Amino acid sequence: MVEFSGVTKKYDNGTLALSDVSFTINDGEFVFIVGPSGSGKSTIIKLMLREEVATSGKVCVDDQDLMSMEKEKIPYFRRRLGVVFQDFRLLPKKTVYENVAFAMEITEALPKEIRRRVPMALGLVGLSRKAPVYPNQLSGGEQQRVSLARAIVNDPVLLLADEPTGNLDPEISWEIMQLLESINNRGTTVVVATHDKNIVDRMQKRVIEINKGKIIRDQQKGLYSNDTKND
Amino acid sequence: MTLRTIRFMIKEGAVNTYKNKLMSLASICIVSASLVIFGIFFLISLNISANMKIFGEQPEVVVFCEPDMDEAQASLVGEKISDLDEVSSVRMVTRKEYFETVKEMFEGNTGLLENLDETFLPVKFNLMLGDYEKCDDIEESLKNIDGVWDVQYPKKVVEFIRSISYWLRFLSILLIIVLLLIATFIMENTIKLTVHAREKEISIMQYIGATDGYIRWPFIVEGVIIGFAGAIIAYAFVAYGYTIIADSFNNDILQIGIEFIRLIDIRDISFLLVLLFIMMGTLVGAMGSWMSIRKYLKV
Repeated sequence: MVEFSGVTKKYDNGTLALSDVSFTINDGEFVFIVGPSGSGKSTIIKLMLREEVATSGKVCVDDQDLMSMEKEKIPYFRRRLGVVFQDFRLLPKKTVYENVAFAMEITEALPKEIRRRVPMALGLVGLSRKAPVYPNQLSGGEQQRVSLARAIVNDPVLLLADEPTGNLDPEISWEIMQLLESINNRGTTVVVATHDKNIVDRMQKRVIEINKGKIIRDQQKGLYSNDTKND
Repeated sequence: MTLRTIRFMIKEGAVNTYKNKLMSLASICIVSASLVIFGIFFLISLNISANMKIFGEQPEVVVFCEPDMDEAQASLVGEKISDLDEVSSVRMVTRKEYFETVKEMFEGNTGLLENLDETFLPVKFNLMLGDYEKCDDIEESLKNIDGVWDVQYPKKVVEFIRSISYWLRFLSILLIIVLLLIATFIMENTIKLTVHAREKEISIMQYIGATDGYIRWPFIVEGVIIGFAGAIIAYAFVAYGYTIIADSFNNDILQIGIEFIRLIDIRDISFLLVLLFIMMGTLVGAMGSWMSIRKYLKV
């Protein structure tokens, strides 16, 4: 599903965000990318989304080479992905229902399909009753669940989450993680970039740890940190 | 792009215009204001050129026949003159009539005309031209007619009218271009504000896989709606104001006794005006949207 080999990313301002990073994520996996702020984990998500292009190396997502992808093809590539951000990024002037429907409307889906799938996605995240409400009337946890519904409504092959629990308290965070896991159980590959130690330790999934732009650990059923003294 | 998508984009544009009421209102006011200013200049120049045309029809060309020609021969010359395309009307002035007018000119001083009768005067023709621009051309063709002795017309007046019309046309075109540029520039900046306020929205759309066209078109629809609304409001203002001014002006000037200067009736130009306003308003709106959205679509 995702293949990074020898990826280096240097930003225009000279910051070296990633240096010679290689890893592979298989179909159906659930992977945490962990590390302190500025370690490069957001850059990995941005590269997978083709928001940024690697300076050198090879980035492949969903069998597509993102290094040579034409600009016109990016939107169509992104439609196969679901994205969730720390700040939810919902459209403020659209209702919950419209926000989720919008992700389908841009793919020119049939209205019949939209009417069928949007309630399903909202049901899955437990927000059926909030459909006619605007995002600013919802709590943080609810807003994140809307953005999850939007991310999965098109049945993505890969779900990317950049600090999805960064603005949420631990209990709500755990609910979001369980939703992510149930999405993963339905076959979607899930990649979560986070520095939330609690959820990583509790989930017991594969952990890729980044520090200063390098992978320092890649472990199945890992904890947030091997360094027990910091626990 | 399917029909359904087009409908969706038009709906999106309309709904966004409504949901961003304040910004839309500001933009509509700016478009209206620019169009009102444009409309005022446009109407002034339209009226001046319409009245110039009336003036332009005034200068008469006078053709004198050979002095020894009798009136029967002269009327043959008259026929040849009226055959010319440029001539809209010809009136023959007989020696007798001519003598009467000359006598009027020397009124109270008839001594000068003593012992003279009409025979010393040539037969002459007064011609009206459809267009004063043709004075120079026709002078030559008139002189080439057998029996024509001399051709006279008020050269200075024609030249004056010609230069005024030239400058008027030049100035109105220049003014229209400048106003259009200013309106587009203001529009671009206003829409830029609304786009800037929605920069986050645009980036969200890009993250979930919306194509550039999909993001751009609702904004353009919005610009067109704003331009259209601005045009209608501007037209209402200009048409109403102009009707009041034209009515009272035409009344007043008739009372002073000047008949040949008239402001154009609004009904004769309302279609042209409304069409022009809508075209300019929507064009400026669409262009403004296009230009301001361009820079945000680069991610």
